[in-house]
Amino acid sequence: MRKLLLGLMAFLLFTGQLLAQKTITGKVTDDKGNPVPNASVVVKGTSTGTTTKADGSYTLTVPSNASTLVVSSIGVRDQELSIGSGSVLNFTMVSTAQDLGEVVVTVPYGTIKKTSFTGAETTVGSKQLESQNVTSVTRALDGLVPGIIATNGGGAPGTGASIRIRGIGSVNASSEPLYVLDGAVYNGSIAALSMDDIATVTVLKDAAATSLYGARAGNGVIMLTSKKGVKGRTNVTANVRQGYMSRSIPEYDRVGIKDYYELMWEGNRNALLYAPGATISMAAANQAATNTIATSLVYNPFDVADDQIIDPATGKLNPNANILYQDDWQDVLIRSGAPRRDVGISISTGTDKSDFLMSLGNVDEEGITKFSGYNRYTARLNMNTQATNWLKTGLSFDGAVARQLNVPSGGTATTNPFYYTRMMGPIYPVWQRDAEGAFVLDPTTGERVLDYGIPSQMGTRPYAGNSNLLGTLELDKRNNKIANANAATYIEIKLPAGFGFRTAFNATFYDAYQTTYQNSQFGDADNVSGRSTKATNRQLTTTFNQVLSWTKDFGANNLRVLAGHESYEFTQNVANATRTGFPFPGTDELAPAAVAEGSTSYENKHRIESYFGQANYALNDRYLASASFRRDGTSRFYKDVRWGNFYSVGAGWRISQESFMQNINWLNELKIRASYGENGNESLEGFYKWQALYDLGWNNGNAPGAVQGSLANEPLLWEKNKVTNIGADFALFNNRLQGTIEWFNRASGDLLFPFPLAPSTGFSEISRNIGSLTNKGIEVQLGYNLISKADFDWRIDVNLTHFENRLTKLPQETMPQAGNNKYRLGGSVFEYSIKEFAGVDASNGDALYYQDILGTDGKPTGERKLTNNLTQASFYYHGDAIPDLTGGVTNTFRYKNFTLSALVTFSVGGKFLDGNYLSLMHPGSYGTAWSTDILNRWQKPGDVTNIPRLQNALTTQNGTSTRYLFDGSYLNIKNINLSYNLPRSVASKIGMSNGRIFTSVDNAVLFTTRKGMDPQRSFDGSSDWSYPPYRTITVGIQVNLQ
Amino acid sequence: MKNMLYKLLSATMLILVLVGCKKDYLDTSPTDSVALETVFQTTDGGYVALNGLYRLQFTSYVDHGNFGQKSLDLTFDLMGNDMVVNLQGYGWFNTEYQYSAIQTNTAGSRSGLTWSYLYMVVNNANQIIANIDNASGAPDDRDNIKGQALATRAYAYYDLINAFQQTYKGNESKPGVPLYTEPTSEGKPRGTVQDVYTQIVADLDEAITLLTGKTRITKSHINANTAHGLRARVALTMEDWPKAATEAAAAYQGTTLMNGEEYNAADAFSSIGNSEWIWGFEVNTEQATIYASFFSHMDVATGGYASLGTQKKITKALYDQINDDDARKSGFRAPGTGTSAYPDYNQNKLRVPSPGSWAADYILMRAGEMYLIEAEALARQGGQDAAARTALETVIQARYPDYSAGSLTGAPLIDEILLQRRIELWGEGFGVLDIKRLKQPLNRPTGAGNHGAPNFNPRIYTLPVEDPQFLFRIPQPELSNNASMTDADQNP
Repeated sequence: MRKLLLGLMAFLLFTGQLLAQKTITGKVTDDKGNPVPNASVVVKGTSTGTTTKADGSYTLTVPSNASTLVVSSIGVRDQELSIGSGSVLNFTMVSTAQDLGEVVVTVPYGTIKKTSFTGAETTVGSKQLESQNVTSVTRALDGLVPGIIATNGGGAPGTGASIRIRGIGSVNASSEPLYVLDGAVYNGSIAALSMDDIATVTVLKDAAATSLYGARAGNGVIMLTSKKGVKGRTNVTANVRQGYMSRSIPEYDRVGIKDYYELMWEGNRNALLYAPGATISMAAANQAATNTIATSLVYNPFDVADDQIIDPATGKLNPNANILYQDDWQDVLIRSGAPRRDVGISISTGTDKSDFLMSLGNVDEEGITKFSGYNRYTARLNMNTQATNWLKTGLSFDGAVARQLNVPSGGTATTNPFYYTRMMGPIYPVWQRDAEGAFVLDPTTGERVLDYGIPSQMGTRPYAGNSNLLGTLELDKRNNKIANANAATYIEIKLPAGFGFRTAFNATFYDAYQTTYQNSQFGDADNVSGRSTKATNRQLTTTFNQVLSWTKDFGANNLRVLAGHESYEFTQNVANATRTGFPFPGTDELAPAAVAEGSTSYENKHRIESYFGQANYALNDRYLASASFRRDGTSRFYKDVRWGNFYSVGAGWRISQESFMQNINWLNELKIRASYGENGNESLEGFYKWQALYDLGWNNGNAPGAVQGSLANEPLLWEKNKVTNIGADFALFNNRLQGTIEWFNRASGDLLFPFPLAPSTGFSEISRNIGSLTNKGIEVQLGYNLISKADFDWRIDVNLTHFENRLTKLPQETMPQAGNNKYRLGGSVFEYSIKEFAGVDASNGDALYYQDILGTDGKPTGERKLTNNLTQASFYYHGDAIPDLTGGVTNTFRYKNFTLSALVTFSVGGKFLDGNYLSLMHPGSYGTAWSTDILNRWQKPGDVTNIPRLQNALTTQNGTSTRYLFDGSYLNIKNINLSYNLPRSVASKIGMSNGRIFTSVDNAVLFTTRKGMDPQRSFDGSSDWSYPPYRTITVGIQVNLQ
Repeated sequence: MKNMLYKLLSATMLILVLVGCKKDYLDTSPTDSVALETVFQTTDGGYVALNGLYRLQFTSYVDHGNFGQKSLDLTFDLMGNDMVVNLQGYGWFNTEYQYSAIQTNTAGSRSGLTWSYLYMVVNNANQIIANIDNASGAPDDRDNIKGQALATRAYAYYDLINAFQQTYKGNESKPGVPLYTEPTSEGKPRGTVQDVYTQIVADLDEAITLLTGKTRITKSHINANTAHGLRARVALTMEDWPKAATEAAAAYQGTTLMNGEEYNAADAFSSIGNSEWIWGFEVNTEQATIYASFFSHMDVATGGYASLGTQKKITKALYDQINDDDARKSGFRAPGTGTSAYPDYNQNKLRVPSPGSWAADYILMRAGEMYLIEAEALARQGGQDAAARTALETVIQARYPDYSAGSLTGAPLIDEILLQRRIELWGEGFGVLDIKRLKQPLNRPTGAGNHGAPNFNPRIYTLPVEDPQFLFRIPQPELSNNASMTDADQNP
């Protein structure tokens, strides 16, 4: 506003100074001499300005005291020239297409010029991040960074996606990358960081890039760098974004009431007909099914008597039967167009000696499921100052408070609205009905009464009796209050002879205070008058390091060396308490509740101490060599084995700097590089796994008790990675085509495996470092400025990743079947070992599966037979969940001031086991919904179909098998963003330096091989019933003031 | 001056870099666990381990169908003739009732979890037995702790051998279950049934010696009476009739039988304070496992799974054999009075003391059973029928004062004792164990009020005597990872 007023005043002054002015003319061209039309030409510090014509020329009358003209346009750098005494000023603009030599990469304990770097990394800048309207930065990276694969993270508000860098590095320990925020290992909440505050995300991939993080670097490192004030520029940026979210993956098609009743009748009838040893006639079975089907399903939504619903002769619905009521549970529990608001403001400035940035932000999103949502306030302050010519110091602080309203979205519990609404048979209403199908109204409130599926209402609903999530989720509470704060400070001292010293202290505080309240009126806790659990999880991470550095140039040689020490401490305090017996509804606090049901608290500590060093050497800025070393000691392991050494070596050759290359004009940059190194993965479950422990808290009444919790495991150690990387960076055709190609081989050894023990010894397994696997692959990143005209730009960015995951050493050649996997040498960690569906027996509708014929030695002979008993079927390998190729393509178009970008991500190959679909294809479980595919079931001898016979209570024919294994390939239009940049001249007239309005769609369209399936749900290709991902349509405006 | 400053600074930094952290910086330990050696330094610590051993037997683990001893007891009843499952409900214990859960050899099946659970009990008992002798404290406490651990080990082995093999008599040389008398990581072979019973008898006899004259701090601890009672069960199974009779009599010393009114009180079978109880687990609100608890699966008033379809009912066949004047008949819903939540024949015997609270103790042994063991053991000895009738009448008349065993002798007397045993101990975990012990076939009555539609489908109605389908399967991980066993050791 102040700017606006100033502008207005300037305008008034301008009119008052008509007498003292002069006219300047000139031409604006790009670095190739082409005219730049529509460029803004403004007198610096005023709103006086104009725009260039089609030929790039301009004429501007300026006040006589004007000293400088500023020209700006899309795709070029701003340029200033002093007015001086002449009247002609020509401008040659420099394209903003980046010159590789200027790019600086964030690396452990510092930064390095990209051209001098021997490691593998990808940096994503704020420009790429800001077009996506997501709450956690982890959701933005998929499709932008080669070498990673990511889940979609589901749709629960305030959550992020999971990322894996260069394959899956572990089987039983974590494969999660290490996150580093502004130079310190970060254990806080990533979703608590404002996207607007993030300047760059640097994904470090090979040993040369990561090994300086030693025992924690094994799965790659993601460095988050926050924005800072820029020297010589004061900026006020405000963002307002309003979005609307709806589910991006459609629900499975499920059968309606009529089909449901007929099908259930058939399943009921078949249960009589196909029971072992049954002698009942078809007619008798038909009649019996007609007589009992309504009793079995309990609810009769028709206007005919229970035994008149299905015609026993045809198995069809009585033509006189009309449906009395029909409710859609998804309509009432899942909403579309849930609002999301994201606003933020940041103020930054910088002088020669100091810089400053502060920002405030708020994200408020309502989940696409009722009763869920996320509201987060963030604040940040970054300050740096060169206090004296030898002392620099700075402080950064950021904090977030967030409130997350959750619904229980995991697993098959009937409190999970996604599972519940999907699996609920269509005949069960949300609201209680009377015999005529009319709503039953509450006599006091007059409101419709919810049906809980209990005897006192419409009967015991066979699916999830005594529950109604619309009622209970509203009364229940599952919320999480999160506080997340980071404070970091450092002192940097310049010492003589090229030495420097930097010490930094970082602290991250995270606190989650969780309430889980089950209401006192209905559902799981009504019989105990409500149950509430309060749980707090408080985490404090501190990192304190001291780094001595030395930089020396002698002749053409450049040497940079650092040595340091670091101590890291993670402290976690967990406490929770549960009480029941609430006096009246409306409170979830424990004080009024009568009965203590349980409480506990404990503390965990994890410490790492490290010594490290690194040397980077460059000769003529052309021959590059690097080496790093880190010695880590971690409290996770036994004292005799807890110290380990990690290192890397790397080399690079900037061929383009060689004199013999200087004549090749189309080649701007070519560097080849290679690195090798070892790092570790110490993040296994539990902090004290080496110790033989008795677990406390096994109290018997009022007497304290303990049981043996673990066996001593002194040899236990981190997993180890040996990483080889060969890469090339290039820039061609005047930097219009830039790219990187990398080959990597990541060999992970000493992998933890549960070494099986005889369960009769009291323990069934112990962890041992016994396995190995490799992730070998290639990744390509290309950026091409296809068209670079004054009015029109088109840039394509493509990245592709292919990797192969192979188990190379296992405790035994083939591990026992565990879940849907049976690890074997040469197979991948996500290779399916499941039973093989052999179709349906046309004579009786049995589901058939393959079974090995065993020889006299009990081993498979190689011959197979068919069985109709799934439990007897044999397991076979059926491919894996790891895609052959993943990637992302970004197209960015600019026409004048309009910019349109579209990010498409895709995955080819890789299979997905759809457990949701499996649940919807049961053979006739009373009350449970059915996929419409069930309509194609086998019905009579001779039917040729892939859907077996219906039969209630038949438990041996349906389950995990290749019947539910599908191609997991997908193509996701992940983000489309259309923005309009206000012309500078217009912007400056209203007091802004820059303005942008935009609209975007995140998760616009997902193409999969089957409707309802969510193949990006997990890395291992398994489905779950949790929160589906959402599509967000956003409109927003960004205002920059200077 | 400036040089001085630099030197000072450099020196400070070097110190910072080189010194590092304190020596014990990396030694961390948990706050919710302690080292094994710490536990067994004193008898006080020994009691901590002992209490943990008991808690292990009534806590829930893995899922809502596993809550220690009572989930196994419920399985034994569901595999018998007298307990009917109303409807599929949430599916818990459906496949136990249908026998498929015990015929599956995976680690997570009822067979697998029974195996790992009971061996967890054995291992924790073995830790106590191996370490308690060196604990400082009063010798009486050491004996008390060790005696209870020995009896607990015997109790676990008794369940193991009964689940994974046919009864003792006639099968003495058949494969047993691996026998561990001290903590080890080395797997043991199956051995024989005789080996297992020999160890059980030795453990119980030693326990009785160690526990005699000691007082227990809570009824959830095993005392001499309890050890005698366990010994009586074992003797009955081994058909050592004189021993069974004397041990049973020793077990019920000092107890008072419930009268009819007390028998039907809400807390008769859920309150450890009951004077007829010899042993039980005291489950307070905090230690109750809520939905994953015995009463969740039994009592329709808890709002647990029993009220959500899997109501447990007595067969009409057995119900009709209870005299109308017998107070025990009120333990079941009279036909014609039922509702869908609380149907005809639904059990009302085993319920929580007060609905609204999950605090409900678990019954493990009571005097009624001991009188019935005594009666059966006397009747089977021959020539002791009068004493047998007295023992029988003592317990039944407490509930049903007009009861008389008349002048029954011989086989009819034994049959009467066994009938009364089925009525008296319905739902307390003896169902299939008695069928196996008595070498009877599985014979589930059908027709209205009995097994089969409209009740939940039991899948199996009859099984011949000592059919292999009675046997739990040894979990595959045991066969694969126990060096002393192979796949050939699996039950037929």
